[in-house]
Amino acid sequence: MTLYILKRLAIGIVTIWFIATATFIAMHLVPGNPLANEKATTEVIRANLERRYGLDKPVTEQYIIYMGNMLRGDFGIAFSEENRSVNDIIREHFPVSATLGVLALLFATLGGVLWGALTAIYRNRWPDYVIMFFVILGISVPSFVFAALSQWLILNLNQVTGSSILPVAGWGNFRYMLVPALVLGMSTMAYLTRMMRSSMLEVSNTDYIRTARAKGLSTTRIFIFHQLRNAILPVITVLGPAIAIITTGGFVVESVFAIPGLGRYFVQAVAQLDYTVIMGTTVFFGAFLVLMVILVDILYSFIDPRIRLQAEQ
Amino acid sequence: MTSVNQYALEVNNLAVEFTTYGGTVKAVRDVSFKLRKGTTLAIVGESGCGKSVTVQSLMGLIPMPPGKITSGSALLDGEEILGLKTERLNQYRGKRLGMIFQDAMSALNPTMTIGNQIAETLIVHRAMDKKTAWVEVLELLALTQISEPARRARQYPFEFSGGMLQRVMIAMSLACKPDVLIADEPTTALDVTIQAQILNLLRNLQEKQGLSIILITHDLGVVARMAHDVAVMYAGQIVETGSVDDIFYRSSHPYTVGLKEAMPSNKTVEQELRVIAGSPPDLFAPPEGCGFYARCMYAMKVCEKNSPPIFGNHHGARCWLHHANAPAHILQQSLKDPTN
Repeated sequence: MTLYILKRLAIGIVTIWFIATATFIAMHLVPGNPLANEKATTEVIRANLERRYGLDKPVTEQYIIYMGNMLRGDFGIAFSEENRSVNDIIREHFPVSATLGVLALLFATLGGVLWGALTAIYRNRWPDYVIMFFVILGISVPSFVFAALSQWLILNLNQVTGSSILPVAGWGNFRYMLVPALVLGMSTMAYLTRMMRSSMLEVSNTDYIRTARAKGLSTTRIFIFHQLRNAILPVITVLGPAIAIITTGGFVVESVFAIPGLGRYFVQAVAQLDYTVIMGTTVFFGAFLVLMVILVDILYSFIDPRIRLQAEQ
Repeated sequence: MTSVNQYALEVNNLAVEFTTYGGTVKAVRDVSFKLRKGTTLAIVGESGCGKSVTVQSLMGLIPMPPGKITSGSALLDGEEILGLKTERLNQYRGKRLGMIFQDAMSALNPTMTIGNQIAETLIVHRAMDKKTAWVEVLELLALTQISEPARRARQYPFEFSGGMLQRVMIAMSLACKPDVLIADEPTTALDVTIQAQILNLLRNLQEKQGLSIILITHDLGVVARMAHDVAVMYAGQIVETGSVDDIFYRSSHPYTVGLKEAMPSNKTVEQELRVIAGSPPDLFAPPEGCGFYARCMYAMKVCEKNSPPIFGNHHGARCWLHHANAPAHILQQSLKDPTN
């Protein structure tokens, strides 16, 4: 198992290196440069700035220097905010994005498994139809529509009750996180519900469920010990991509709810061609995703013994 | 509870239908049989003749809908088990009625250890705690001749071979010492050597525990080896019943004769295998008369429109040839009269 994890980590590091290199190349292929704004008024200032950021050196040398710094965990200094290190930006804003993302993922997974199991149990009866209607809605309606809609609902709710139970925007304690996390997790929840439903139905037709019934086990026991664990496997497989969807979707939700997450920097940096921030946020998010996917794989192997034992060999 | 019953299981006039888009399939039509205590009853017949549906409906395992038990009764040592609610039925199945299936690999939960799957039955039906159950599990695995039970019990189905898994299935179905064991083609997926081992195991267990077994198979070799009584099924009906000797040496139904002749023997090397010409009737619209009419070489006028009753008692055949008015020469030629 340890060897398996180490192997996965090694592959992960190669992946991150690849992400970094690809981003570096793509970034330098974009026309323009980070100093092409009002800051570099004269040639002298421009030359000084270029020296300060190391842009006077050839691109290959810049690449080597950057990679070296990255290995030491230094993402450099941002162009757009003077003397503020990228590490600093990430340290301050990533926890917000991560909290939102993890919460959304939690909602999506728990909701998906629960609703999916329910629709399978009540197949072709009204709870199934009602839930599946909302699932279609959740998949087809983009998150910014949900975000605006939920703000409008909160506003009305607060007006009717005459108090502010849920804030409309901003960031703080759990009350601030609840609605944005729900909105962010919505499409993934809908997607997972569909997966869970079909996987539950598939499992309930298998021979081993028939065996379980022939053993005289109660319906509840069969559901918990035999169906759920086997049905949840395909759902876990897509958790990796689901994390990616939620992370990238977070940028939109963060901006609608005015949440001080990393997403804003991510988008702004590209617009301003802020080399260090682009590199820093991309590599960091990449590394985060790779780590999450590895965690999902490890989780998977705990639920499915076939994977676990293969990994041990 | 009276134990004066001679029969471990008595099935009367069972009929099962399936409603599909194409119409209603009458999969089992008026099936009756009796399983004597401590003996093996083999139900034989070709694929799709209703063998599995018969026993699965006894266990409450056919999906309803589309399945429906339209009539019949099944008495387990005198107690009715047909048409019970799931909670009531669960007091019988797994406990007094054990069942093993054809493909043990897919019939066991892939994400649960063998030991836990066996222990589960004990915990549910015999109110054991996990520890006591585990001790019992190891005994059961040893009983079914699985070596190193302690290590094996902690393994998962994919770490076992097919024959080993069938032993596990047997151990699991015997966990609560059932009165009746239903074996639905237990050796079909196994090679001949393993098949012999499994059959021997079943026979030994029967002798040791006084088990009554219903054995479903399409292999007459297995029947000859295992069965005391035989029921031959064709097109959803039992066409001939009797002791194993009755069926093999005094066959009274043209279909049984055809089956026997289709058996490969080790003598006629040069000869092609014999087959029963034609194919079984469409059970969406079962024939009015005898189900075997279209394929029967002795078919008479009466057979087309009139479904024959079972002639004979202990050895019975569903065939008009045994009617008093039927031409006697056919009987003398190749069929035996079950009433004699």
